[in-house]
Amino acid sequence: MTSAAPAASHEPKPGRRLRLPSRPFLRFLGRRLAALILLGLGITFVAFVLTELVPGDPAAANLGQRAIADPAAVRAFREHYGLDKPLPVQYALYLEHLVTGDLGQSEQSHRPVKTDLSEFVPATAELAVTSILIAFVLGITLGVVAAVRRNRLTDQVLRVISLGGISMPTFWLALVALYVFFFKLGWVPGSGRLDPGVLPAPHVTGLYTVDALLAGQFDVLSTALQHLILPASVLAAYNVGLLTRFTRSAVLEVINNDYVQAARAKGLPERTIVLRHVLRAALPPIITVGGLAFANVMTGTVLVESIFAWPGIGQYAFHSATTLDLPAIMGVSLFVAIVYIVVNFFVDVLYGVVDPRIRVA
Amino acid sequence: MVAARRPVVMASVMVAAFVALTACGGGGTSSTSNHVLVVDKSFDMKTADPQREFEVSGGIVAKALYSTLLTFKGSDSATPVPAVASSYTASSDAKIYTFKLRTDIKFSDGTPLTSADVVFSFNRLINIKGNPSFLLDGVTVSAPDASTVVLTSKSANPAIPFIIPNPALGIVNSKVVKAHGGTDQPGADKSDQAENFLNVTSAGSGAYTLKSFSTTSEVDLTANPSYWGPKPFYNTVVVRNIQAPAQLIDIQKGSNEIALDLSPDQASTLGSGSLQVKTPPGPNVFFLFSNNNAKISSTTPNKHFQNAIRYGLDYASIVQLAGAGAIQTPGVVPSMFLGALPQSAAVQRDLTKAKAELAASGIANPTVNLGFPSDFTLNGISFSTLAQKVQANLTEVGIKVNLTGSPISTALADYRAGTEQLGLWLWGPDYPDPNDYLVFLPGQLVGLRAGWAAGADPSLEALGVQAGSTTDNATRKQLYQQIQTKLNTEGPFFPLIQPGQVVVATKGVTGADYNPTWTLDVSGAGG
Repeated sequence: MTSAAPAASHEPKPGRRLRLPSRPFLRFLGRRLAALILLGLGITFVAFVLTELVPGDPAAANLGQRAIADPAAVRAFREHYGLDKPLPVQYALYLEHLVTGDLGQSEQSHRPVKTDLSEFVPATAELAVTSILIAFVLGITLGVVAAVRRNRLTDQVLRVISLGGISMPTFWLALVALYVFFFKLGWVPGSGRLDPGVLPAPHVTGLYTVDALLAGQFDVLSTALQHLILPASVLAAYNVGLLTRFTRSAVLEVINNDYVQAARAKGLPERTIVLRHVLRAALPPIITVGGLAFANVMTGTVLVESIFAWPGIGQYAFHSATTLDLPAIMGVSLFVAIVYIVVNFFVDVLYGVVDPRIRVA
Repeated sequence: MVAARRPVVMASVMVAAFVALTACGGGGTSSTSNHVLVVDKSFDMKTADPQREFEVSGGIVAKALYSTLLTFKGSDSATPVPAVASSYTASSDAKIYTFKLRTDIKFSDGTPLTSADVVFSFNRLINIKGNPSFLLDGVTVSAPDASTVVLTSKSANPAIPFIIPNPALGIVNSKVVKAHGGTDQPGADKSDQAENFLNVTSAGSGAYTLKSFSTTSEVDLTANPSYWGPKPFYNTVVVRNIQAPAQLIDIQKGSNEIALDLSPDQASTLGSGSLQVKTPPGPNVFFLFSNNNAKISSTTPNKHFQNAIRYGLDYASIVQLAGAGAIQTPGVVPSMFLGALPQSAAVQRDLTKAKAELAASGIANPTVNLGFPSDFTLNGISFSTLAQKVQANLTEVGIKVNLTGSPISTALADYRAGTEQLGLWLWGPDYPDPNDYLVFLPGQLVGLRAGWAAGADPSLEALGVQAGSTTDNATRKQLYQQIQTKLNTEGPFFPLIQPGQVVVATKGVTGADYNPTWTLDVSGAGG
């Protein structure tokens, strides 16, 4: 939408056509949407079959040691969650409800899975987005610096740092970070999304920082930011290392290309050359890795969430799996599938933005 | 160049804003002072509805929100004392219990608490058919007048006074709960809709009311101004979902805090300077069994083989493995309950005797599978580690043990189906009375899991029936000790340990006492 129409008028000017999405782009969108539906269907089927294949019983996993011996309690549980019906009927019913947006009721929380996801996904999203922003800013910056100063001391030091980021187990790093920055130095608060007893701002997005900002509750915003920074940094450590290495490699691929030499010959400042000519050309592989890193962070935060008592989708998935909470497992599986498809979609679109050759193709 | 600098300027502004915002927070623990109690607990929370909860964390919350007819004081669980009921009487056959209610108790909204509320709450518990419904199995509830409640049990039930203090029998405001979809009628398992309401708003007469509730992050409680009992010291209580490693850091850093999930090993790393560390033996009994069902194994029902296990286990080293506070449990009834065996009655390791028993069994080089929940750790003890210990002990006797542990969700199914050859499990008390341990007898809940069918030991079963219906405590004590002595010689169970129950509190907190029925009574904590 590069139309030059003024803000006051949405009418296209005579002689200029409003630019609609191109047909190939619409086809691309359609393909992605179809993939999303098919993949979602496949995921529900696989998750359903696998959960049924596990030699366990949801009633045994959820009812207490006495209740499981009470046929009335077991029957009530099975009836309530539809487990008394044949498997194909259970699956068909699930799909029928899914079409209307009903993901079923969690056997653990006793709430609709949709309600659970609407609570847990924003918590993880807040963590993941902050983490990936830290990772992008630091990773790309350090990668560029390492490439520009290749084989010098700075590069060697950054290589060690990035290797450290990739090699350190996240759960260990989380515990060490909590010990050092909370316990020893007292720079950040401990676990949780807010200080004990502080209530979040009224729910709008579920992102505590954004909701606090919208409500003008700056004390809550402050607490939320303080609680966010450490787990987000821990989660970012791996991706900082990864993006540093990828950026360095991608920048080195193009830094001596002819057009870069030409830019230098024209007398452009080195910073402009690196930022405008080198980095842009190096971006596609970085976007690919960054997209996957974001999807991984959105769906793989269970250890960090556990250590920092962060009530996100990772903990929810873990508890659902350990208690054979089928509706919740299906809900989480669908969420993961959607995240990967949406992230890949945006990565594909971003390719076109940064590389005109791909757009034309 | 201006355009190139813009991102740098924007980034600088954002960083400055972040620093300013985080700086004005004044530290992470500022709100924990001034009569705020923070309790760290690894959540198994499902609901704040008292008639549906039967989890450890749910018990802490329900105890704070809802009053019960009777209660226990502090860590005691041997003597039920009046709460909402000012007194009670029991019929000589232990079938009819009559409770006289106090008339000065009001719910948090000011409504007086009457016998109708008790009847509604108890019938709702029964008809919801949830995890705690078994507590009132075979019991009918009636109210002859506004201040009297009568419980009538089909069979003699001397355990009722010990069951009544359970937070699941917390009394709800029947008018409020009914107005929000609650029902106590048969079919409540399908028609009761009050859980969502009770997860947002409490409807009780306990020391606290519910401020916010989350099954995954924290539960906030605020003091109930209409509370009929002594005003709690802490006007705000926050129960947080924190895993043990973080609890260890928090408790050393924080103020006015209690940590409930530290292992004995973790607790032993804490200095006594600014913390109180309590590690009394807990009520959980870890035990091993050898399946008595010949269809499951031709080896494990052999009495000599079972004796070989009994005398081959190195109980002392298992206690050592369990860490501070752990004791060997002489019988299946834990040491703090009526009828527990004295420590002197505990089975001791005798390797020579064990080998002789194995030889007498006539089974050469036996190999058996040991089932256990491989991903489960309780009281700091990993069942996988414990299983390895058992394996090593029995190898010395000449018994080869294959460890066939699996995640608890699948291991439970095998255990409950009675298909494990050897099983390593635990029994946590549902209520603090030895009647809860009759499940180990033939034909009963745990007995069947060990392949011990009804009729397998008629004399022991007769003793069980007698103990379950006897009302005199001295006689009950004697009967339960007799039962356990027989179990220790003839039964397929090998009681191992009662692990230490670790409660750590900062120095300023008083009354942080562990109670088997509700874990922690936050209203009893002081500063």
